[in-house]
This record gives sequence, C-alpha cells and structure tokens, in this order.
Amino acid sequence: MDLVLQLLFTGIGIGAVYALVALGFVLIFRATNVVNFAQGEFSMVAAYLMVVFAVDLGWPYWLSFLLALAGMALLGIIFNLGVYYPLRHRTFLPVIIATIGASILMANSVLAIYGPQPQVLQGWFDTPGIQLGPVYLDSQYLLIIAVTVVLVIFNYWFFERTLLGKKLQATSQDKEMASLLGISVSTMIMITFIYSAVLGGLAGILVAPVLFVSIQMGSTIALKAFAATIIGGFGDVAGAIIGGLSLGVIETFGAAYVSVPYKDGFAFLVLVAFLIFRPQGIFGERVAEKA
Amino acid sequence: MKLTRRDFAAGVVTGIAAPHIISSAKAQGATLKIGMCAPVTGPAAESGGYAIKGAKLALDAVNKAGGILGKQAELVIEDDQTTNPGIVLAFSKLAAQSDIVAFLGSIRSTQVHAMAPDVLKLGKPVMIGGTDPNLTHMGNQWLFRFRPNDSYSGRVIADYGVNTLGKKKWAVLHSTDAFGTAGGKALSAALEKLGSPAVLDQGYANQSQDFTPVVLAIKQSGADILGSYFTFENDLGIFARQLRQLGVNIPWVGSPSIVNITALKLAGPALYNTFGVADYAEDSSDASKAFGKLYRDAVKVAPDNQSSWPYDAVTVLSAAINKAGSTDPTKIREAILAIKKFPGAEGEYNFDQNGDGLHGYNIVKNDKGTITFDKHIEFTD
Repeated sequence: MDLVLQLLFTGIGIGAVYALVALGFVLIFRATNVVNFAQGEFSMVAAYLMVVFAVDLGWPYWLSFLLALAGMALLGIIFNLGVYYPLRHRTFLPVIIATIGASILMANSVLAIYGPQPQVLQGWFDTPGIQLGPVYLDSQYLLIIAVTVVLVIFNYWFFERTLLGKKLQATSQDKEMASLLGISVSTMIMITFIYSAVLGGLAGILVAPVLFVSIQMGSTIALKAFAATIIGGFGDVAGAIIGGLSLGVIETFGAAYVSVPYKDGFAFLVLVAFLIFRPQGIFGERVAEKA
Repeated sequence: MKLTRRDFAAGVVTGIAAPHIISSAKAQGATLKIGMCAPVTGPAAESGGYAIKGAKLALDAVNKAGGILGKQAELVIEDDQTTNPGIVLAFSKLAAQSDIVAFLGSIRSTQVHAMAPDVLKLGKPVMIGGTDPNLTHMGNQWLFRFRPNDSYSGRVIADYGVNTLGKKKWAVLHSTDAFGTAGGKALSAALEKLGSPAVLDQGYANQSQDFTPVVLAIKQSGADILGSYFTFENDLGIFARQLRQLGVNIPWVGSPSIVNITALKLAGPALYNTFGVADYAEDSSDASKAFGKLYRDAVKVAPDNQSSWPYDAVTVLSAAINKAGSTDPTKIREAILAIKKFPGAEGEYNFDQNGDGLHGYNIVKNDKGTITFDKHIEFTD
C-alpha cells in the first residue's frame, strides 16, 4: 500500500506538468485550429529566463518569476505576430510547420547562449519535501499539483464567467460569427497566444527545480502533453487536465509493475489504443466531425 | 640583351614553381606534424577546447626538451564538429597531408568507429580516447588507446565494492543505451566472478523525468550497495535526489559520470559520500599532480580526462617516435607497443599488443562536493 501511495503521488505530480503544457496546446488549437509544436519550447524558454533573473542576476525569486512570466507574455505576442499572423489565411499545414521551425529556432538560440550543459534552478521552498507517514511528498510536486488545481478553477471561471473568456470561446467556435458580433478576432487570438505562452512558461518554471533546466526539457514534456491532449480529447480543457494526470499515473505504475525502460512506451501505447478505439478522446468530439 | 622565347618560358616556369618548391622544402624540413581531430564546434566544443589545450601543453613540453627527431613538433587541428560525418571529413583532410606522421582521434567511441576504416586504409598511428573495448579488438592495428577501456570500469567497481567496502548485495542500475548496457553487463559479470551476483539488475531509458519506481525497486530488493552506469548527468541528478529523498542511503559506486563536474552541480549534496571510477584523478600519482598543476597554471580551470588523455597521447607518441628514430608508421607502432611503465597523467602506461595503454581505474570519493583520490585498482590479466 505504501508503494502504491508513493507511486500515485509521483504520478499525479508528473501528470500535472503534462496537464499544464497540454492546456496550452488545447487553448491554441481551439482558437486557431492548429497544433502549436513550440508549446514545449515555451516551457524551456521560461525556465532559462528564471536562470537569467534568479541565478545569473541574483534577483529575488518572486520578482524573477513575475519577470519570466512577463517575458513569456511578450514571447506569446512575438510568436503570434511572427509565426501565426502572416500565415493565418493559409491551411493548417504551413502554420504547423512554422511552429516546428519556431521551436527549433528557440531551442538553438538558447543552446547558442547557454550551451548544452543543464542548469540548476532552486525551488520555491527551502524544505525539499515532507514525510507523511510512509509517503514522501516532494514540495515542488505539491506546488505543481496545487497550481494545476488553481488553474482548473481559474480556467472554468475565466471561460464561463467573464466576458473576455466568452469572447475567446466565441472566437474559437466560429471566427466569422464572432467577427460579425463585433469581437476582434485577431485580438482574441493574440490573447490566446499570450495566455498559452504564460501557461507553458509556468509549467517550465515549476518543473525546472525537479528536472533541471535543459534544452531538451521542453520537447520531452511536450511529447507527453501532446499525447495527453489526444487522450483527454483534443480541444477540451477538462480533457487536457484529465489526460495529463492519467498519463502521469499510468506511466509511473507501468514503470513500477511492468518495465522501467519501457516507461515512455506505456504513454504511447495508451495513445495508440485511444486513437484506435476512441479517437475523440475522453471528453472530445469526434475527430471526423471536427474536420 | 635579347630575351628569347625559351628564356621567357623558363622564367615563367621558375617564377611559378619556385614558391612551391621553397614552401614544400620548408614544410618538409622545418617541423614534424601531428594531426588532431577535435570538436571545435558542436555540442562538445567546450570539452574539445580542453582537449586541444592538453595536447598543446604536451607539445610545448616536447619542443622545449628538443622536439621530435631533432625537429620542432607542430599540431595541425581539424574540426570534427562533434559528429561522425564531421570526424570522417576532418580525418580525410588531415590524411591528405602526407607530411603528418601520426594523429589524435576522438574521446567518443562512436566517432572512432566512424573513422576507423579510413585509419586502416591510411596505415598511420592514431591515438584515441574512446573506451569501447571493441575499438582495439577489431583488427585495426593503428589505433592506440590512452584511457582504460570499459571492461575495466565494471571490474574496478565490483572489486572496490566487494573487497574494500565489504558489500555483497548489489543493485546494478544502468542506462539502456550502448554505453550503459555494456557497462551494466561488465559490472554484473564481474560481480558473478566475485561470488556476489546482483540482486537487482535494472535498466532505465535516457532522459527519464522520474526515477521513483527505480528507487522503490532498489529499496525492495534489499541491496546494500549500488553500482551504476549513467550516460547523462541530468538523469543522474534526478535519480540521486530521489534516491536520498526516499530514504535510500546505501553506498554507491558509479561510472565516471558520477564525478563529472555537471553532475556534482546538479545533484549537489545528494551525491556526497558516493564513489566513482575515474581515469584521471589529480592526486593519483606524481605525473597526474604535475599535469594538474601545469594545466591549472596555463588554462585556469580544473583538469579532467578531456585534457589529460591528449596530453598523454602527445607525450607518449613523441617519446615513441624518438625511440623509433624514424617516422615510418610500422616503426612508430612497434615503439608505442614497446612502451612499459611510462608515467602519464592518466596512469602508468603498459601497452598490450591490442594497443591498450592503461589497465585499471582510480577510485575517487565525493567528500562533501570535493573529489578526493581513494585508491587505484590495476589489472594485469
């Protein structure tokens, strides 16, 4: 039982990271109908911004955190104007390829500045974790889980209870109709990119003290988050959260009870099973209908 | 004076040919050239810089002592771009220069494998730092190794854990890539021979984000010592932290990455009191200390195996050519293989007929973040 509880906590912690990045995937997909393959690099860039502010410049952690998120908001604007906006009237394929190109550019730019060696970023808390009976609770994972819960509530409130959230939803559902109703579609898409970049950045900053800051950290997480998005149902916010958490728990238990080296395989096995038997995911609409 | 057509033609030919003849004569006469393939660009550019500095320091010492065969020695460097195609190209550029008498290859086994067919075709000595045992056991007589090969690291880890630390119940943890699998196998085989077969042999995939299942498996196995082969420092860092957080404090002897500067930075206190095998340990011998001081004074950073093996390679190669009294490749080869009890920064060189110069490893300890030399374990078989 102790083993199960420990694995469950770790699985939920890892899954929460996938969920945060998956959320970014979903928001951009809903707004633009394209998958942003640079979402993982948003996490990586934010983690490196934290290294710049908190480690290299030695500024207070909270200030560095706010500045890093502000930097991500700026990156979201640049990304929208430089990658999406010029191609907005094209089919989805050029946009997707542009996001892949942007992700390569971001990764190599950071590589040119910082080199390939991973960097260390301290967590929010001095205490690494607490022992609760037989289970060790890593303080950073506790924070990640807490932030995910808060974001789930915030997203619900924002999209269902605020005018801006409803405008964003309207834009994602039907751009032409939204435009006819006086909603500035390009502004809504800009806001979506900003929010997604900040969300991806938040995931990167939160996970950096656990996984270290490296060029590969974004792509590794994004791959799982992408799988989580499909499992949860592409385009569904709740699906992204549930998909991410499920994936984290499945791969952790799979590693413990079946095979450690094939841990990553479990995530993609589940993905393949969903694509065959339930392509619309847990909460999503049918892919055929969406297309 | 009348200029005939013949005089004009002779003048033109002389004018064109003279600079080439002079420079060729100068090149053949002035210096003795050693080629070096090094990662000047690419992911290993930083360590490539250390390798070049190590080689140049050795060359300076050789030249101060009279050079090679009475000539000053010169290093000709080509960028291998840290890739296999890059090193093949770099070596082919160097091989085209007929006045280069010998070469330095790579510390990465995969790159040495890539260039090995061209080395065989050229038939000139190449010094290498790659530790895949196969490199000197695949019929290529022109490769000479200046680091102990991986078959020794497994034996040294097992020997130290069983005979020095007195531990019998081993958990063996290794990456599932080529390096980790070969290392894990070597360690398990050595433990079998010592009568302490591993109670847990656990592989993991590189770039794992979480090692909780692995740590719990080690805990449940009842192991009283851990032996490991990690390829990437970030995996090592994540594992080390989780190991300590989940309360596993058994002795741990790891492959060289456990004492790597990056791993120490990432894992911090989680790696305190662990042991590692290291081919270069500054306090392991007088020659190692001397190199350490020379390198620190010149480069202002701590020396490591990236710089120590090229330093030894140039030193040993120069001594071998001087002893051979010739730049004939076969004579240089015979002179290198005849080298015994030669004190180098990496250890004492005793070349065997395969071209392996070193046959043991140093054991070092992480003493609160400072790497200290513990003992050297050498094998003669």
